[in-house]
Amino acid sequence: MSTAPAAAPERPMPTPTRESQPYWDGLREGKLMLQHCAACGKVRHYPRPVCPHCFSMESEFKAAPLGGTLHTWTVCHHPFNFFFKAQSPFIVALVDMDAGVRINAPLRGVAESDLKIGQKLTLAFEPVTQETTLPYFTS
Amino acid sequence: MAHALRDKAAISGIGETAYTRGTTKSGLALQLEASLKAIEDAGLSPRDIDGLIPYFPGGGIAEDFIANLGLPDVALSLFVPMGGATCVAAVQSAAMAVATGVCKHVLISVGRTGYSGARVSTRLQQFPQFALAAEFEAPIGMFAPAQLYAQGARRHMELYGTTARHFAEVAVVTRQHAILNGNVVMNKPLTVEEHHASRMIADPFRLFDCSLESDGGAAIVVSAAERARDLRKPLVSIMGVAEGHPESPASIAQRPDLLEFGLVKAAKRGYAMAGVGPKDIDVAEIYDCFTFTVLRQLEILGFCKTGEGGPFVMDGRIGLGGELPINTHGGLLSQGHVVGLNHVIELTRQLRREAGKAQVKDAELGLVTGYGDMGDGSLAILRRAA
Repeated sequence: MSTAPAAAPERPMPTPTRESQPYWDGLREGKLMLQHCAACGKVRHYPRPVCPHCFSMESEFKAAPLGGTLHTWTVCHHPFNFFFKAQSPFIVALVDMDAGVRINAPLRGVAESDLKIGQKLTLAFEPVTQETTLPYFTS
Repeated sequence: MAHALRDKAAISGIGETAYTRGTTKSGLALQLEASLKAIEDAGLSPRDIDGLIPYFPGGGIAEDFIANLGLPDVALSLFVPMGGATCVAAVQSAAMAVATGVCKHVLISVGRTGYSGARVSTRLQQFPQFALAAEFEAPIGMFAPAQLYAQGARRHMELYGTTARHFAEVAVVTRQHAILNGNVVMNKPLTVEEHHASRMIADPFRLFDCSLESDGGAAIVVSAAERARDLRKPLVSIMGVAEGHPESPASIAQRPDLLEFGLVKAAKRGYAMAGVGPKDIDVAEIYDCFTFTVLRQLEILGFCKTGEGGPFVMDGRIGLGGELPINTHGGLLSQGHVVGLNHVIELTRQLRREAGKAQVKDAELGLVTGYGDMGDGSLAILRRAA
């Protein structure tokens, strides 16, 4: 019996829904596309069918500015999935976007000891497959 | 006017398997083993059970209980999918069922192979409550509760000056209590230094800030108070019980205040139903998936102000003999992880005065919480009936 080498671990990939597809399409094009209520105009994230403010089911996705401020963070040491082992430890920043929602994404180029709530960060885009681009933050 | 459900139901039976790391038994078998013990403890026959709330997902469904226990006429089958808030929230559902006469005796059970079966990172991806985390956060490396809850803990530290020393105190005191219990996974003393030297999992959580991945089963029987009075054990009455769901319940990231758990709502209703406040509580079993989660819940429960959870746990206050003994069985941090049903069981033991070396003297009134998924909360206030 031959023993095949273990397959390289793969990154868990998002499965876009009918609601979230425009968000993922936006990332692929280098844009932060956020869902806005077509009736009252309020922004919501993560994407979902009904506006919780006015109950309208009509919505549109609009490109949002990429700036924000640090709300909090964690530093992932234990990878939980072997794909992330090589890059551990890595910082994951939760950011209050100027657009009015939060984005959770890895933060690159900033030392853990320099992190401070309220510091300004900018969203950037990293294609990981032909289909999927993921967000990350830089200072 | 008293709440319609107050003191109408009681915890009439409790049962646990051994808590271990490693078992050949299935989750279902562990659940049934604990269930048989709980039914026996109540002085009932399995045939008396007519309501079922098994833990979901995993371990067993009503059909399994009917087939294994030969239940002749089950009137209610429920799931309460609230992660770690499930078990205490299920007490509310069970109390409603027995108080209205829909059921006579409701069985709540958990069986987990958290060590020998699927581990946390794969298990949670299957929960419908984790769908948003799976789509938006798993691809960037955030899978496990340790990671998802860590950001709230970090924010509490930055805003209020809470420290790893405070976290360690919860872990160390909980371990001291576990050692008194006997049926625990972690039975060696833990020092503050050992806590600080344990490996970082997801900053600020170190290994000893995290609950155990263990194997075991637990079960309780909830009966109408007037029936429970005639059963085998002293009556432990459900004085107040409530569940609460936070804003943005499936995403911590999008919650306006990360530290606003569902317990904020549950505590308000639970205290009001019981007609008591934090000052009346003799012993508290606080859901401890992480050390920090305990600190924050103590604040929400009104034992101290927001931001003061860290200092509150110091100086022996939460140990046996202290002002508010908590997690007198060793909790999820040191006894075993059966989704907090062991917390309900321990509080029942305390109020029956069956807690052995960990007995809180003259315990009359106690509180137990659940915390789960992305911040669902639940609370029960139990009392030893006269």
